[in-house]
Amino acid sequence: MSETNPMPNGAGTACGSCSLNRAANLKRLGVTMDDWDYVVALAGNPNVGKSTVFNSLTGLRQHTGNWPGKTVSRAEGGFEFAGKRFKLVDLPGTYSLLSTSLDEEIARDFILFGRPDVTLVLVDATRLERNLNLVLQVLEITDRAVVCVNMVDEARRHGMTVDDRQLARDLGVPVIPAAARFGRGIPEVLQAISDVATGKFECRPHRLHNEPPAIRRSLNELVTRIQDMYPDLPNARWVAMRLLAGDDHVHAALRNGDLGSAGMHGATGGRTESGRAV
Amino acid sequence: MNADQADAGAESPAEDILRTAQRLRQGITGDLHEYWVEAIYADAARIADRAVSRPEKKARPTWDRTIDRIVTSRLWGFPIMAVLFTGMFWITISGANIPSGWISNLLIDRICPLLRQSADAVGFPWWLKGLLVDGIYLCTAWIIAVMLPPMAIFFPLFTILEDYGYLPRVAFNLDNLFRKAGAHGKQSMSMMMGFGCNSAGVVATRIIDSPRERLIAILTNNFALCNGRWPTQFLIASVFIGSLVPAYLAGFVAAASVTGIAMLGVAATFVISWLLSRSVLKGEVSTFSLELPPYRPPRIWQAIYTSLLDRTLFVLWRAIVFAVPAGAVIWLSANLSIGGQSIAEHFVNLLNPIGLLIGLNGVILFAYVVAIPANEIVIPTILMLTVLTTGSTAMGQGAGVLFEIQSEGALRELLHSGGWTLLTAVNLMLFSLLHNPCSTTIYTIYRETGSARWTAIATLLPLAMGFAVTFTVAAIWRMFT
Amino acid sequence: MENVSLVILASLTAALVLLPKWGLIARWRESRRMTEKCRREDALKYILKREVNGQTPTLNGVAGALEIHSNKAAELLSEMERRGLISFDCGQLRLRHAGRELALHVIRAHRLWESYLADQTGVEEAKWHHLAERKEHLMTPDEAEELSARLGHPVRDPHGDAIPTVGEELAADAGQSLNSAPLNAVMQIEHIEDEPETVYAQLSAVGIRPGMRVCVFEKSPERIRFWADGQEHVLAPILAHNISVIPLPESAGQDLFDEEFLAGLKPGQNARILGLTTACRGAERRRLLDLGFVPGTSIEVEMVSPGGDPTAYRVRGTLIALRREQARLIRISTSEAQPL
Repeated sequence: MSETNPMPNGAGTACGSCSLNRAANLKRLGVTMDDWDYVVALAGNPNVGKSTVFNSLTGLRQHTGNWPGKTVSRAEGGFEFAGKRFKLVDLPGTYSLLSTSLDEEIARDFILFGRPDVTLVLVDATRLERNLNLVLQVLEITDRAVVCVNMVDEARRHGMTVDDRQLARDLGVPVIPAAARFGRGIPEVLQAISDVATGKFECRPHRLHNEPPAIRRSLNELVTRIQDMYPDLPNARWVAMRLLAGDDHVHAALRNGDLGSAGMHGATGGRTESGRAV
Repeated sequence: MNADQADAGAESPAEDILRTAQRLRQGITGDLHEYWVEAIYADAARIADRAVSRPEKKARPTWDRTIDRIVTSRLWGFPIMAVLFTGMFWITISGANIPSGWISNLLIDRICPLLRQSADAVGFPWWLKGLLVDGIYLCTAWIIAVMLPPMAIFFPLFTILEDYGYLPRVAFNLDNLFRKAGAHGKQSMSMMMGFGCNSAGVVATRIIDSPRERLIAILTNNFALCNGRWPTQFLIASVFIGSLVPAYLAGFVAAASVTGIAMLGVAATFVISWLLSRSVLKGEVSTFSLELPPYRPPRIWQAIYTSLLDRTLFVLWRAIVFAVPAGAVIWLSANLSIGGQSIAEHFVNLLNPIGLLIGLNGVILFAYVVAIPANEIVIPTILMLTVLTTGSTAMGQGAGVLFEIQSEGALRELLHSGGWTLLTAVNLMLFSLLHNPCSTTIYTIYRETGSARWTAIATLLPLAMGFAVTFTVAAIWRMFT
Repeated sequence: MENVSLVILASLTAALVLLPKWGLIARWRESRRMTEKCRREDALKYILKREVNGQTPTLNGVAGALEIHSNKAAELLSEMERRGLISFDCGQLRLRHAGRELALHVIRAHRLWESYLADQTGVEEAKWHHLAERKEHLMTPDEAEELSARLGHPVRDPHGDAIPTVGEELAADAGQSLNSAPLNAVMQIEHIEDEPETVYAQLSAVGIRPGMRVCVFEKSPERIRFWADGQEHVLAPILAHNISVIPLPESAGQDLFDEEFLAGLKPGQNARILGLTTACRGAERRRLLDLGFVPGTSIEVEMVSPGGDPTAYRVRGTLIALRREQARLIRISTSEAQPL
């Protein structure tokens, strides 16, 4: 990548020490922030045309390889928009983020620990319901996302139309219809990514509220507890859910302060960050 | 890594939360994962329902459906598969000859003499010139010339079929067969890839998400006869087996015998898969799921671009990395001598008794040892060594210099003078199918499995089978002749 | 010359026998020590299980459970008393604190290992207990904790038994034996006793698992006939005794007798998914759920492979192929089907 004039680390994030911690996490996940203002993750089900979108966003400025220490292919590339440089990381195509498989674990860990500035979720307009499963899971973890409804042309061919405004209202994040094969919708996707990354658009992501009664009480109790301790955690409910499920990664992350967002407080977090940065 | 630090602090909020979670977990009955997925899908369905408007009349994706009905039908499913894949291999094999010739003409006939001249001009000693040009350069050039064209044709074709969505249907059609062998239908896709290149085939097993079936696919991929071995098969078949029948049948019989060897490889895949799934791999996790994505018109240029980049160049680069030392070893072994004989001859004499026992000879075995980096150089190495050991001066270009013979008659004559019989030819074809994978593939298997144990099994199992099969064939042969 | 070889032979033999750690004596000692450890821990397990179920542990009971002679059992128990694991109060066997802790740990290790085998390996069900019986003696508490974390701190093992956490009491066996279940009442299998192994193997071979709904409709001294997972089962009472069940509300059993499974769905038919049976577990279960095989989903048979298996189903807008053995694990209802 022929980038000159490198920007300071993590120029886009609010607090210095947090961005250091995040940069360390990103580095572990194989992303260096040297030349980039923002990191964008690209998520989506298998077979929704993720590579097409990836290619049309990055052009030939990409390289492929493996995830660090894993035999799962990854691609990353970059693009410039409105004077800012964005790094795009292609996550493995998954149906879910509940870490049933290695792919899902990688995608989940990247969104959770890499804390991308924007997560672009690609969905197939002809199979919206199934694809929303992943979108909703992503929105549980991060509150900075853009949904791109791909293949609207194909949906129209089958006589289906997707009301992107209704969808955007329900999901609380920008929803962009696109036909990536023909390059349609790509400029709008870039604009939406930029808006979310710079904070011009504030997402109010849809969150689950209809858990079955069997778990609701336990979940609520734990969420209250977590919110007391970490008032700024963007995904307390999801963390609570994973803790109840006994998720080892989330356990460990809570212990050493890898969870959280800008302005996460608590001695544990601060110390860990400085420890990391050395 | 920082857990100690965190623990050392006062009762950290994290520990308190973890304890609460631990306590609450005990009170939950049922499967949490299930509750969660159900809740998410319920919301997804509600939101999708509000956002999507469907036509009153059900306009179904009928085109997809019709294609699916045909390509998975009892009547047409298998014939369509057979025609498509035969066509693909035919295009690969016949189409690769021409560019192979160009590259070989450029790299070997034109650039090689130039390199020799310039080495002389600079004043390199003979041994340095030999090692660099005749050894390392020639071996690398050879591998590029033989390997690049078929892969540059095969991989894009494969990627286009993959892009279109046809390959999952093949897995769907063949799954029943693979299931009986304890494997996954998607193994058909990695196998197919293996016919192009085993190393790429091993990487292709990533699409199999069930750990047990993926290991089976990796361990048996070598039984798919790869591009590097097709030339050996064709050459030996036409020189020795085609010549057994009248000339007008020769081409057909030779082709049939090569197909037979490839089919034998497929049979070995199923048998070994079955054995592995019932022995060493019994305890590995196994799940099955296969998505049949909608058909999409393939994007030709992108398929060519990505397959060249991700598959062809990737595999070629690895092969070159291993070819450089191999070229050096081949040249040195033919040119360094101990007690008046070259090292190669010492080794050939050493391996000869074993080779003869299994119906081959020392030259072939030594060629397979030095040709571990790439099967493509087996035949040139055998020819060079045969010239070296028989002391024939009519052919060859000097010790340690790989070469090829265009005329079948001359080739047959040379090999006969090296003591070859029909048995040698048959067993060479068998051994070419059943021996250790090339070093690129071995390295890839290690990368993919991360285990020395599985790598060792993948390497030694086919080798042991090769010895056993060729020994048996030789024993039976000698009983009847 | 002969002397030299004799000396070499003699010293080799001596080394073979006497070498610390590798020698025969050391190995024999080690295996003796291990056998003793296993026996002590098995005895503790037996005593704890008797205690929590309100039964009195006895010396003969220990001998029976461990399959050793009663003299040997007496020797073992007095050794355990010396070690402070148990006490004889007025001739009654009682666990002391250290003994209780150890017994709990062993049970925890056993159940965790069974969960591990069920969830993360493909080892067949009939072997779980046997493998866990060995592993339980080899695991340290730290290792058990680590395994528990890796498994997501499971609460129950695959037989339906609660996995005790550190410092917690063992729960008493819940439920009643299938033998004593009332006729024609809907019950749920809570637990299947994994000892003796042959009985357990027979039960798991016919597909009886915890979480299944059952209904007994005939009882006689020779046999018990009951309905479970869409088919009729007949067991001898001695086998049925190992199955403990708890009652379910009447409403939970309405569809018990005409349960339908995805494997029975014909091409062109559609249905609604009711859920996954309990036989579907671990990675397989999670994968199916993630693919959208959740209760309430409409499903339709799209096409069958030329070989007759697998079958492609249209579920939530996507074609997913499943093998017949998986389709058997998915409960459906054709009557409640809505057109897709």
